[in-house]
Amino acid sequence: MSLKLPVMMVTATLVAGLYVTQSDQPFSSRLHSSAVGQEGGALRTAQIASEEGEDIRHLEDAARNIRALQEGSGKTERLAQPSRIVPFQLSQVDYPDMPPEGTGNETGAEQQPPQVDESALRYFAAQGDQERLAAEIARLRQLYPDWTPPEDPLAVPQNADRQLESMWQLYAEGRYPEVRKAIVERQAAEPAWQPPADLLDRLGIAEARSRLVNASNLKQYQTVIEVGASNPALLNCTEVDVLWRVAEAFANTERPQRAVDAYSYILANCTDPGERAATVQKAAGTLPYGQVQPLLALEKSTADGGREFDAIRDDLARRFVSEANEEPALEIAPEYVERLRDLAAGRGTAADAVLLGWYHLRRDNAGEAETWFRRAKEREDSAEASQGLALVLLEGGKPAEAEAVLHRWRESSEDTMATYLAATANLLAADPPPTIEDEVLTRMAQAVIARRYAPSAQQFGWYARAFDQPETAAQWFETALQWAPEDEPSAYGLALTRQQLNDRAGFAEIQQAWAERSARIADLAATPSSSARVGDGAAPAPAQVANAPAAVRAARNGVPESRNVVAQSKTMTARSARTSSCTSRVDISRLSPGAALARGWCLMELNRPLEAADSFGVAILSNNRTVSEDAAYGQSLAYLRLGLTDRAAVAATRAPMAAARAREPQASILADRAIQAFQSERFREALLYLDQRMQVQQEPVDLMVLRGYSYMNLNRPYDALRIFEAAAATGSRDASRGLADAKEAVGLN
Amino acid sequence: MTVSKLMAIVAVLSMLVSASPAASQQGSLRSALWETYKERFLDRSGRIVDNGNGGISHSEGQGYGLLLAFLADRPADFEQIWTFTNTELMIRSDGLAAWKWDPKAEPRVTDLNNASDGDLLISYALAMAGSAWDREDYLRSAAAIARAILDNLVVERGGRVLLLPAAKGFDAGERPDGPVINPSYWVYEAFPIMEILAPSDRWTQLQEDGLALLQMMEFGPRELPAEWVSLARQPKPAEGFPAEYGYNALRIPLYLVRAPSDIGKLAQQLQKNATLDNGNGAIFDLTTGDPKEPLGNSGYRFINHILACVEDGTSVPVAERDLTSELYYPATLHLLGLAYVVEKHPSCL
Repeated sequence: MSLKLPVMMVTATLVAGLYVTQSDQPFSSRLHSSAVGQEGGALRTAQIASEEGEDIRHLEDAARNIRALQEGSGKTERLAQPSRIVPFQLSQVDYPDMPPEGTGNETGAEQQPPQVDESALRYFAAQGDQERLAAEIARLRQLYPDWTPPEDPLAVPQNADRQLESMWQLYAEGRYPEVRKAIVERQAAEPAWQPPADLLDRLGIAEARSRLVNASNLKQYQTVIEVGASNPALLNCTEVDVLWRVAEAFANTERPQRAVDAYSYILANCTDPGERAATVQKAAGTLPYGQVQPLLALEKSTADGGREFDAIRDDLARRFVSEANEEPALEIAPEYVERLRDLAAGRGTAADAVLLGWYHLRRDNAGEAETWFRRAKEREDSAEASQGLALVLLEGGKPAEAEAVLHRWRESSEDTMATYLAATANLLAADPPPTIEDEVLTRMAQAVIARRYAPSAQQFGWYARAFDQPETAAQWFETALQWAPEDEPSAYGLALTRQQLNDRAGFAEIQQAWAERSARIADLAATPSSSARVGDGAAPAPAQVANAPAAVRAARNGVPESRNVVAQSKTMTARSARTSSCTSRVDISRLSPGAALARGWCLMELNRPLEAADSFGVAILSNNRTVSEDAAYGQSLAYLRLGLTDRAAVAATRAPMAAARAREPQASILADRAIQAFQSERFREALLYLDQRMQVQQEPVDLMVLRGYSYMNLNRPYDALRIFEAAAATGSRDASRGLADAKEAVGLN
Repeated sequence: MTVSKLMAIVAVLSMLVSASPAASQQGSLRSALWETYKERFLDRSGRIVDNGNGGISHSEGQGYGLLLAFLADRPADFEQIWTFTNTELMIRSDGLAAWKWDPKAEPRVTDLNNASDGDLLISYALAMAGSAWDREDYLRSAAAIARAILDNLVVERGGRVLLLPAAKGFDAGERPDGPVINPSYWVYEAFPIMEILAPSDRWTQLQEDGLALLQMMEFGPRELPAEWVSLARQPKPAEGFPAEYGYNALRIPLYLVRAPSDIGKLAQQLQKNATLDNGNGAIFDLTTGDPKEPLGNSGYRFINHILACVEDGTSVPVAERDLTSELYYPATLHLLGLAYVVEKHPSCL
């Protein structure tokens, strides 16, 4: 029989008295140099080799010194010259000047002819353990190419040595500590007895394997690599699981090329079809797409003319497309997308169609994305498919449809809820304000209230104003402010609405609270109270303001009753005839700075910050300092609302702002930067911004939570604990969760 | 090894040797005692079972097991315990031992952090066994662990050389009151051996600073050390731990008497402070000085017999010469104490 097993030891080397032959597959050499260090591996290895030679001398001295210490006599010959140098295996395996592959270096050939130890063979044969027997024959052939296995291994006589027999028994049962114990015991009893080299060798390998597996299970990747490096016998086709673990260790210690080498080794040398396919799947799960491709090139043809990985190709297509979905910049071969498309169109599952939907959505191909998300929903409606479709619809400016698609899935996950809430805000903010059915308004309000989602609460306010329901609008703005106390647009909306309602006390209250922080709220004081800037010319809406539906009241959590009134629009059929002074198209560059400024504020009221920023940009050029300053302030607010923090910072510096007024955008900018720094895991920086922000404005609860988690991430759980305790006292749920995390981190839970 | 490195070792060794070393001797633990201990706490996989602690194992227990097997002169048992320790606990990438192993969990190691006393005991026992039995592999492992301890756990903070209780979680910067130490982790008898294995003058400083610190830890009316002590400023009981003279701390006097230098006086004083009027020991609340739990177990009591023997030559009562403790921890202390008397004060038996 010609069982061809790959041999992987690089150079002939002495391993526990056995010699192994040179290989044409030097995986272990690469492993060794990388275990030592990626660059300058050969040089460093040489250094380590010599250091370890010294270590041996050091150890011998140490033993002598310890004995001397025990004797306590003080007259010892501690430092006799070292007499022999026992080389470390590691220092021998990776020669600095290793000849190129294939030249053949038969070092070690001068070693004494091998004594092939067949005791394991006999043991497994006697046990009838065919599998282990075959593995042992393969192993011995690998070690001793000239060795011929017995013709009928099962006929090999049993070991006569009973004690040795029981050691093999323990070994076969994986009871290695007991084997070790038995060996030492017997050596004590029979000083002349030597354990078979084969037993020691196998024991060493088995122990190294357990240690490697233990380390791998606990993600101690450096240990995995070191154990692998010093046990070349573990790195061959009979140990594919070990090779997988070594590959994983490399991939997780930023040495993906080494991982590729390990997987390649298996695919180039090992024959078990299941293990080969699993190798490709492991690699696809561990390595980035680009590094899996060369491995696929090692695919072999099957006897029936197919390719050996055909059975897993669908799975690979799914993995790769999924990876491309996580990483929109990644370009994968069209064949995988096509394969998935064929699957999704044919026998594939709804999940395949969803994957394809995301693939196209992330690549700005909304049309295709819509097709596949819809296909998925037809096949099996799901939260993910609905969320994907809703995103497509939102992107296409169809928030009403998005809301309709997603509402019944909104509670499925944080993601679906986030998309749903975005749909509500977009729907309410649509211009002109759409007519929305009662049922839809009610369920949107339920979600917004349950999640205390301030942006949509604010939009509910503007929406109610558009339909001339100022009482409802005021309640929504108040609610929004309760959830997001720093939300200036809500405060502004509330001020406007109270003014409209002639609620002088209420108006004064909000004006007083915000005048310092918001110029436009401060400016409202000067405006006659009868003026209603938004809703000017709106037809008196026939809509009746009703109490919140019972369902909403039930959904409400911790919101005071009076805040809980929802825009009710049973008869809200009349379209708003709202026309504002700023909605007509004009060439803003022709406007006077004063007019541009007014238009900017007007557009901000309509929550059209992009156009507002342009108008403010014209007004900034004014020679009138007040106008210019006001415009700079307006523009920075507009950019902030657009989420363009950096531009807001620039705008804020374009005209000198009064100190009080400068504070608000500055605080928002710093908050935004802190959040961005946090999201990019630059926690120190996040703290820096938060500290700067604190100089300008008191820290709101949500930023305290951010601060807390920054401390947590910087391993400062006690600081986090302090902050979370303070923040949790306000009743914030996030802060309470943070507090629990911090307590756990310091061991208080 | 460089010449200067060698010279340093020579210098240190001469000093140690002339200071009447107290390193342990194999054979100082009677065979019958070790057999009883094994029967109760060593399972066949080579792990020492902490039966007072839910049957888990830990690096400390493996270290004690190795040391006791060495003291009993039992190379085969030592080999068995080490094989388990090496494959199951020596998996950290920094060369220290993972401290906690639970047979009911998967993976078995349930806390990857190390415990410095466990590392010290393992390295120490390996070094003693390796030199006694000519096992170069033991010496090599001992040296690697000693090096890892020196590199990761022996640190200089505030002008003192300290032994951090673990690689993670106790240093300055990791806790507001850090660095926090555990004085019962300082296995004084191991330090001279560590110095041979991983030469550095920090070991001597570690011993000196440890003893100096111990004398500063006179907390509460009983003037006893706390188990966990913050060294952020003046030593004080660390936050988040009970301020008590607890079970961990009970072994401090034992470590002191087993230590190489003559610091028996410190042990005497400490044990006196930790003893009630009726002569019994206890776990103490440091704030009030009141006993929290009486200590009935003979293993905890044994230190008193050692001190009486050292001070007045009093014989160890015959009943206390057998291993009566059924629990892992007091049994371990008991045997370490007995081995010490056999080795250093055989006249008390």
